[in-house]
Amino acid sequence: MLRSAPFRHAALAGGLVCVLLLAGRGHGMAGAEGAIRGVVDLRRTQVTAEARTTSAAMGMPARRPAERRPAVIYFDTAPRGAFELDESARATMDQLDETFVPHVLAITVGTTVDFPNRDLTFHNVFSLSKTRSFDLGRYSRGHSKSVRFERPGVVQVFCDIHSHMNAYILVFSHRYFAVTDPSGGYAITRAPPGSYTLAVWHEGEVRERRAVSVPDAGGAVEANFVIR
Amino acid sequence: MHMCVPRLTVVAVATVLGSLGLGGIAQAQHWPDEPVTFAGGRVLLAGDASATFGSEDPGWFTYTDYGTTSLRRARAGLTIEARPWRRLSFLTEIRAQTGGGVVPYAWYVRVSPIGNGVLDIQAGRIPPVFGAYARRSYPQDNPLIGDPLGYQYLTSARSDAVPANADQLLKMRGRGWLVTYPVGSPVAESGVPLVVAGRWDTGVQIRVGNPRLEGAVAYTVGTLSYPLVRDDNHGKQLAGRIVWRPVPAFAIGASAAQGAFISHDVLTARSDIPGGRYDQRAFGLDGEASWGRWLLRGELVANSWKLPPLDQPLIADPLSTLTGYLEAKIRMGPRLYVAARGDQLGFSTIQGTKGAATWDANVSRVEFGVGYTVRRGLLVKASMMNNWRDGGRVRQSRLAGVQALFWF
Repeated sequence: MLRSAPFRHAALAGGLVCVLLLAGRGHGMAGAEGAIRGVVDLRRTQVTAEARTTSAAMGMPARRPAERRPAVIYFDTAPRGAFELDESARATMDQLDETFVPHVLAITVGTTVDFPNRDLTFHNVFSLSKTRSFDLGRYSRGHSKSVRFERPGVVQVFCDIHSHMNAYILVFSHRYFAVTDPSGGYAITRAPPGSYTLAVWHEGEVRERRAVSVPDAGGAVEANFVIR
Repeated sequence: MHMCVPRLTVVAVATVLGSLGLGGIAQAQHWPDEPVTFAGGRVLLAGDASATFGSEDPGWFTYTDYGTTSLRRARAGLTIEARPWRRLSFLTEIRAQTGGGVVPYAWYVRVSPIGNGVLDIQAGRIPPVFGAYARRSYPQDNPLIGDPLGYQYLTSARSDAVPANADQLLKMRGRGWLVTYPVGSPVAESGVPLVVAGRWDTGVQIRVGNPRLEGAVAYTVGTLSYPLVRDDNHGKQLAGRIVWRPVPAFAIGASAAQGAFISHDVLTARSDIPGGRYDQRAFGLDGEASWGRWLLRGELVANSWKLPPLDQPLIADPLSTLTGYLEAKIRMGPRLYVAARGDQLGFSTIQGTKGAATWDANVSRVEFGVGYTVRRGLLVKASMMNNWRDGGRVRQSRLAGVQALFWF
């Protein structure tokens, strides 16, 4: 997937929007619901961001434990009726130990995300993404500000004070997505029978696409990925 | 003191980056938003590059001790940190800069024997302890293009050449970019700023602290205004700094430094130079406050250089200077900010044959600017400044510049 960053983001956003158009094109809603499960094996481990190394630092920055960065698996095309979303949904992205937690947040359109500061220092959360640009200004520990995400796409989040802080928010127009757990496992549940394209997204780009089918009888379908 | 022939820094930058195997980054599919790590996080790379183009500066208000103006400068830096063990790291910063060629700007070992950042010992060519601006002089930490006067403006003081009397010193008022004195080096070179932000000193630093209270002490071979790799006068400098952050929105710092300023060549140039200490002494206060979209910073530095009293009219007292600036930055949105800085540099009065005058010409500066973030790690700045000086050939100068800055 050798694409420029803006193109990757535009492609994902486009893909998410295309879901709206493709919904209902042969994707059945009849039959038992199924699930797609599996493991995404990320061979080139991405870990927690380090503070930007600077020779001007007065001292050694505190080290944080390394944490594997998750992937997001989602339907490139979604079934008919997939867009009855809860417009009042809320999610949280903390600022803790100069890190956004979680590093990747996957939400549906209409979700409001809270950004509480749990650090002793100020943070200034902002995004330059076309999907949703915002600037929450500086605020201290114990305070929180919120942003509502109205459009599907990828939003990259930064802190203006701590240049190593970054995170992603993936905004979907349907609910058929999952974020991998620390061991790489995922599950997309309540999937209607039909044929779909699964996409694996990791750190700003779609790394793999694969066709999967949920049988009319429902049940679990396994789809494992190895991302090198 | 450090006048070099300007070079094609773009070539130098390419050479540095290319020689360090960073060509791949330039060809990568997306720019890095964070430091590049290797060997399981044991090796970190961070870099920045900036190009500035602005007005000609016939009054030499913006010239630095690299012999170039801060309004026409290209610079690239690459910082490499290797951490063989959790509590030990080796840092180096290789910098290519207009007028400076390619130099290892910093190289030191950092040991953190206890705690997680509670105590650090650094040895080598180390970051400055004194003041707030020197450690944030990288273009991405400076909301404007110009530097504060105390960290950039070339006074008429030199460490390797001194005036024999007050008249010779007064003759150099307002022309710190090219100074000659009869005692010491006969070569005409630039004077020194109060604190050099562009070159670092060599020695040992110990830092103790936590997020609320932090202190550091450094013992180095040079001085604030003339940092060195090798000692030139058998004297050392002791500098210290303490920072208190009672709340996240506010930090206040105090700094002090004293070190042997005059070089050995001057001290041995004449047999009648009285014995004693010819030191640079400086005291600094700085503060930072922020809330919402505002960031306010200010700094005061009181400095003095003691020169040997040789001939009549004597330079009997230390040459004192007082400088201060106040800076504000307001974020107008995720991409745009505006900033302004007011700056003043004043000198003490000495008595010459024709009367009393400040030993160098007082200078003031006001600078306004905007910054626009094109994307994460790519910032474009534009600024306009007005400079005033009560001496020298050019008394007032209005200058403008634009700067593009990339970092990861």
